Amino acid sequence: MNQEIKDLLEAILVGNADLAKESVQAALRISLAPSEILNEGMIAAMAEVGERFERGDYFVPEMLISARAMQQGLSILKPHLQQSDLVSQGKIVIGTVKGDLHDIGKNLVSMMLEGAGFEIVDLGTDVPADRFIGAVTENGADVVAMSALLTTTMPQMKTVIMALDEAELRDRVKVIIGGAPVTESYAQDIGADGYAADASRAVKVTKSLLN
Amino acid sequence: MDPVLFVEPEYIGPSLPKNTDVFGRGFSEVDYGTGVYKECVHFPLAQYQTLNEIKQNYKWPNPDWWDYSGISDQIKGFEDYPVKGGGSEPFLVYKDLRGHEQAFVDLATHPEIVHFCLEKLFALCYENTVRIYEQIPGNVQLSFVGEDFGSQQMLMYSPNHIREFFIPRMKRMIDLVHKAGAFVFFHSDGAIRDIIPDMVEAGVDVIDPIQWRCEGMDRSELKDSFGDKVIFHGAVDNQYTLAFGTVDEVRQEVVDNINLLGMGGGYIIGPCHNIQPISPPENIIAMYMAGLEYGWT
Repeated sequence: MNQEIKDLLEAILVGNADLAKESVQAALRISLAPSEILNEGMIAAMAEVGERFERGDYFVPEMLISARAMQQGLSILKPHLQQSDLVSQGKIVIGTVKGDLHDIGKNLVSMMLEGAGFEIVDLGTDVPADRFIGAVTENGADVVAMSALLTTTMPQMKTVIMALDEAELRDRVKVIIGGAPVTESYAQDIGADGYAADASRAVKVTKSLLN
Repeated sequence: MDPVLFVEPEYIGPSLPKNTDVFGRGFSEVDYGTGVYKECVHFPLAQYQTLNEIKQNYKWPNPDWWDYSGISDQIKGFEDYPVKGGGSEPFLVYKDLRGHEQAFVDLATHPEIVHFCLEKLFALCYENTVRIYEQIPGNVQLSFVGEDFGSQQMLMYSPNHIREFFIPRMKRMIDLVHKAGAFVFFHSDGAIRDIIPDMVEAGVDVIDPIQWRCEGMDRSELKDSFGDKVIFHGAVDNQYTLAFGTVDEVRQEVVDNINLLGMGGGYIIGPCHNIQPISPPENIIAMYMAGLEYGWT
């Protein structure tokens, strides 16, 4: 593996945003293909971050700084990526449901999905059903991802799924949910397609749903 | 059931604009359909990049902004009740000062900011606790020492971070509480099994809330491992059981808790968090009735 790619991998793994940007610049200077930088540097690094999180070697702060380093590197790389380089894994509309302002989990899922090659439309927090519906229509999304931290806001997920039904969009999108009070059986109860306990597993669930 | 009497000083400091507090946090009521939650929406230290900026620009609250003279009156007529007061949970405030995500990131990228701010916040908690104890010597039974360490699956922070940033200050508070003859009520949500040995060693007396559905929080195992050293408090799940379960499921959970956590004593029944408004009233009653029925040994 090229040294610049190795540096980029390492920068993302340790969460060094400055080094990640410099490594991308260095890789571009020696004319490495942007798609190679993306796939072998960034996506590979974020996959390793996910593995380390699942193994219990990384915790939320480590995952956050890695994801932020990845995003910084990506901001340098993006202008150099051709349309053909961006083989999107799928487009995901993501948000924390209405009445809930908590977003660390949602942001982690969003960044890990981005790091796995998905396109993200992040609606933020306190997102009512009609904004999810609007974003799905507007962006031609493949997946709706919803988060809730509170037991009291979790039922909003069902409201969004019912709204997708009413808007005749339910067959066009997969729905994944997560958040502290959310469980696999709750996902089944409300007719979601997938549930993930953490950001790393959310990537795996999303990939399996779209394959 | 005797309620715990909570004592606290009266605020007499500078007047505060509406929906703000002594730390400059801004709050907003967020409507979730059947009620409102007050959430922090302004994070006063979020704008700063360095410790120096914080030192130069931020004014910390002063313990003299509170009047402690009324505390002895607060326990009059309640002499037979357990009294709770003082304690610390500085990272809870820190998260609101910096913004929650940045607070997590700071542990890895800005340890100097975390240590400085936690020390300021903790010093305020410590002085508050000392002053409460001085007002009613020997009359406080419980002081709260908390910090949420767990997610549903695992610790949110590495054990190394917990040992560096949190436990040493907790230990100072624990020693103060014990010196005053009170018990330490330790609170941490979530899957915290991996750090419980550290907390027990630090001297906690009660562990709350025992979210047994979380990874590693097996009630029998906890009782076997720590039951001779600590009291368990809480353990009635309100992410599923109280909120969405049946009356039978609630009753069964109470019975299981009493059998598993309470074998030979050492368990105080309660919900794992404030009872959520979507919980059916019959479930709430079932929890307490089952406690009354099966909780006597």
